[in-house]
This record gives sequence, structure tokens and C-alpha cells, in this order.
Amino acid sequence: MSESTSAFALSVLGLSALMTDFMGDRVPLPDGVRDVLPVEAAELSALETTLTGVFSSFGYREVRTPLIEFSDVVDRGQDRGIGRAYRMFDDQGRVLVLRPDLTIPIARLIATRMADEPGPVRVSYAARAVRPPSAGTGQGAERRQVGIELAGAGGAEDDAEVIAALAAALQAAGLEQPQVAIGSVALVDAVLDAVDADQDARDALWGALQGRSMVAWASETRRVRRARGRLGTLLAELPNLRGGGELLTRIAKIAPAAADECARLLHTLDLVAAYGAPAPMIDLGVVRDWNYYSGVVIEAYAPGASAPVAVGGRYDALGARFGRPRPAVGVAVTLDLLHHAVGVPEGREPRGVLVVGGSDTRVTAAAMLRATGIPVVGVLAAYAGPEEFARTQGLRYVARPMKSGWKVVDVTDGVATRIASLEEGPWI
Amino acid sequence: MDLTICVPRGALFDESLEALQAAGLPIDPLLNLGRKLIVKCPDGPTYITTRPTDVPVYVESGAADLGIVGRDVLLERQPDVYELLDLGFGACRMVWATMAGDDPAPAAIERFGVVRVASKYVNVAEAWFESTGRKAEIVKVNGSVELAPLVGLADGIVDLVATGKTLRENGLVEREQIFDSSARLIANRVSHKLEAAAVDDLVRRFAEHAR
Repeated sequence: MSESTSAFALSVLGLSALMTDFMGDRVPLPDGVRDVLPVEAAELSALETTLTGVFSSFGYREVRTPLIEFSDVVDRGQDRGIGRAYRMFDDQGRVLVLRPDLTIPIARLIATRMADEPGPVRVSYAARAVRPPSAGTGQGAERRQVGIELAGAGGAEDDAEVIAALAAALQAAGLEQPQVAIGSVALVDAVLDAVDADQDARDALWGALQGRSMVAWASETRRVRRARGRLGTLLAELPNLRGGGELLTRIAKIAPAAADECARLLHTLDLVAAYGAPAPMIDLGVVRDWNYYSGVVIEAYAPGASAPVAVGGRYDALGARFGRPRPAVGVAVTLDLLHHAVGVPEGREPRGVLVVGGSDTRVTAAAMLRATGIPVVGVLAAYAGPEEFARTQGLRYVARPMKSGWKVVDVTDGVATRIASLEEGPWI
Repeated sequence: MDLTICVPRGALFDESLEALQAAGLPIDPLLNLGRKLIVKCPDGPTYITTRPTDVPVYVESGAADLGIVGRDVLLERQPDVYELLDLGFGACRMVWATMAGDDPAPAAIERFGVVRVASKYVNVAEAWFESTGRKAEIVKVNGSVELAPLVGLADGIVDLVATGKTLRENGLVEREQIFDSSARLIANRVSHKLEAAAVDDLVRRFAEHAR
């Protein structure tokens, strides 16, 4: 081997050694998913409990659907199928899908398992939907969602109830003034009827809305011939329009074909106000990615969350796709986004006690404390630095047995006290 | 005003400043930026300056409420943001260009079943060839794209062209026009709702001065 080749070989070896150093033994996770560690898990659970508590106070009862379903069944939920999803085969070669959305499975559940219930049917869920992460969106593959669905009479009363329940849940979770915006697929369609838009124009305009491009919307509206004068201006501005009830009154005047939908939204606003919920903003640019929505569409926003913390709407035609037509409306909170928005929760102070020498030696006292909800953890007498260990575990006190009684250290301030028995410690 | 606006450094920078000024926003702190990346105007917006391709990233994540960015970047990166306004400046077009003389692309398809394309715009190039029924092999390059066909790295390039001067100087000719581009005003999905009044007001002011 010549000198130059061996130098080359060495440099290659050196590089691969460096790569091994740098990359280590990699233990990767698939794109878009992550583990949840104790602090976050506790915060997410607390949020979930709060949300489901509020939903249950409105009469929504929890249901659960399977993580995997038959692909062709879930595909019925969308006009051209559900698109990107994790799919696999079962042992008979049938195509399965990891649920990419929760509204479709819940609609299926209501239409099949609850087909005989006269209704209205109120159900809630706390579950995870899984979608392949798309480049650039920053949204993970797994979405933890807590939501409700109301399959009922199909009126504005149901829309308002869902909006009010959402606002109450977000407020309970710590968002003081949740900003809810509502749009309406039906209202936009009614305006398109008013200008007699043909199918090509409708597809192009809906495409612009879905892509959130006001620029594409404006240029497509110029091609709709019947859109002239005030009606033309209304159409061009439609997705930019937002405000309160006065906006709906104005639209109804200019486009009488949309008057019914405007009246319905106005009624919804009144009903939401009667609940004492913050007034939703009317925003006709709000649309949803899923095309099963047919009426009102709902989004909620919070500072600190880069996307809406909650999304939903009315989907009257979905039930029929699973054999039982029934108008329905629902909304889901995306837990991770809400978690970003609510900040560090208050009152999550360390609690519980670390017993040096092992809680097994004090079984009765430990059991008594645990029964009252106070965490008790044992550690061997020889353990070095139990205070630091207590801190990392979220425990507040370290208790050491003395010749008589116990020495108790509060690890949050270092203050030590003496007590006679564990039953009378400062944690009671 | 508490809005944070993301302004692209580079080709769109000067005209972005003109547009901001025409919309009545203070731009003095942006004039002598030096190496600073972020400036806060007293009683005005906070500006951050980034590479043009990073603008949608900052806006989509909410690090900036609004941004100015070329349509080319939006179509390449497909960010989930509101595209509010065509600001009119920065006009250019996305093209497919190959060496002057016989176009090598049809022969490449015929003999090898694939056309080799060099581009910074991988997604745009892929979508264009797919939508026109051709199989393309995209080579991602980060600059001086015109070099690729000259040295045989690719049959041609998909790139943004303003005047066509660079193409001509490198012996390339435009074969297909893919789309027109210009600067756009974009908004974060949440800022667009939570700062509705401020955003709508700004859009109105920009619109009055956009071509």
C-alpha cells in the first residue's frame, strides 16, 4: 500500500470514528412523534381532566374508538378519501389505517353503535389521532385531542352549545379570554350560489380558501362573470370579512340568497351570548382542511400557540356515509397546542415525602399517608443525597428516623423540624 | 403596535422597505441595520430580518406575525399561513431552462425515461414535471444553478428569472414558464385572528399602495 493510499484510508477511518462518536448508538424515533416525560405528562393529564370535566358538565359522555380501522371505512368520511395516513395490512391482507382524525370514527360510532338512540347524542373523547407529518408544518404526527360531538336536531342551538362548551372548557383550562372565530361553509356556498358560480369556479375558489390564499381567491373571483357591483365586491372581499353581527346583516342585504345562513349565524351569536361565553368573531376566511364540514366552522386561538388550539364545525352529511343520517356538530381541542398556550400551571408545588430507610419499614404510616393522597417514597438509608433525589422526583419533604421520632427537611426552603411520628408531619 | 414583521434580506429588501414606508410604518431602524437581526421601533412594529426562504418558517411558527416573501418561496415550502396580499414588487417568473440549441430534455425522456433537473426549488420542480407527465430526477443545488447543465450535472434547471440575463450569459434558454412570482404579505394563522384589527388595518394600507 502506498503512503498516500494509507493516509487516505486513515482519514476515512478517522472520519468514521468521528461519526460514531458524534452519532453514538442512535436510538431514533419516527418523524413527528416524541415521548412525554413526567412533568409534561402530569400537566397534560391535568388539562385533559379539566376539559373532560367541563364537557361532562354539559352532558357529554366519554366514548373510545379503536386506534386502527379499516381503511375503506374511514375513507368514506372524505370525498376523495382521507389522503395521507399511516396504513398497514392485517393478517388477511386487508388495508388498515391508524386513525388520522377523530371526527370520522366518532361519526361512525354514533351512526352504527348508537343508531337506535333517538338522541340528541352527546359524546366526548380524549384520544390521539395520527397523521404523517408534512414538511414545514411543524405539527407532529401524533395529535392528542379532547373533543365533543353533538348529533341532534341540527339547529343553531346545537352550534351555540358546542361553542359555549368549548369556551367554558378553554377558560377552565386557564385561557382567560379564548378567542373563538366562526365561519360558515354554507354561507360561502350561498354567496357562490348568488353569483351563479360554475363548478370550476367553485373548485378554484374553495382551493384558494383551503390554501388560505386571499390573493388566489381575489384573482379567481374576477373570473366569475355574474359577480358585478356590490355583489362582486362582496365576493372579492368574502374571506377577508370579519366582525360581529352587523357584518351578517350587511351580507344578507347584498346577497339575499345567503340571508338564511346569515340569520342562522346571527341566531347562533345570540345564543352563545346567552350562555355568557365571550362573543365569537365572525370570520368568513375560516375553513377546515376536511371537506366533510357543511355548516358552521369553528376555530379557537390563544397567544403562544402557533395554530388554532381548537377546531371543529358542523358536518351534517357524515352520518349518512355510515348508514344513519343525523346532523351533527363537534369541536376538538388539540392538547399540545393548548399546553403551549396556558404556560406553567400554578399550584404544582412539590408534595409528598421521601422516607430515608425505606417506607417498607413503616408500612402502616406510609399506607395511611398514601390513603390520604400524599405520595410516599422510600429510599435506602445508605443513599447519598436524598434531598437532591427528592427534588428531582417532585417530593417536598425528606424524613429521617432519629433515636426517637423523625427529622423532617422541607427541600424547598431547607427548614428542618422534628416530629414524633410520620402521622403528624407537616404534609398532613 | 405590537406586531412583529419578518422582512427578507436580499433582493426584496429595498422594495420591502419602500412598501412598509408607503404603508405608513417607521422604517428608520431598518436603514442602518448593520449586523443586527432584530429591531424594535418605538411605537411601531418589531422587525426581524432573515433569509428570504426562512420568512415562512418564522411566520408559520408565530415567531413573526406578518412577513414579506416571494410567491416562489410559498409554492416551494407550502407553509400553513395566510397569503393576504400581492404587494406587486419583485416580479419574476419560475422557468424550466436548458442549453441553447436542441432541447436535450425530449431526447433524455425518450432514451432514458427521465430528465435530470437541477434546482433550488425541489418541490416546485418535482410537481411541475409530474403535472406535465414527465419523470424527473431532481438534483438539489443551493446556488449558481446555471452551472449544472454546463458541466453535465443536469439536462436543465428550474429557477427564478427576473430579466433572463444570467440565463443568456450562460448559454441557456427558457423552455417553459411555470408560474409568475412577486412579493406577498403573509400572516400567521393565530396572529391573523388575535390581532385582527391591526392586521386588517395594515393590509388596507399596503393594498392602497400595492400596484
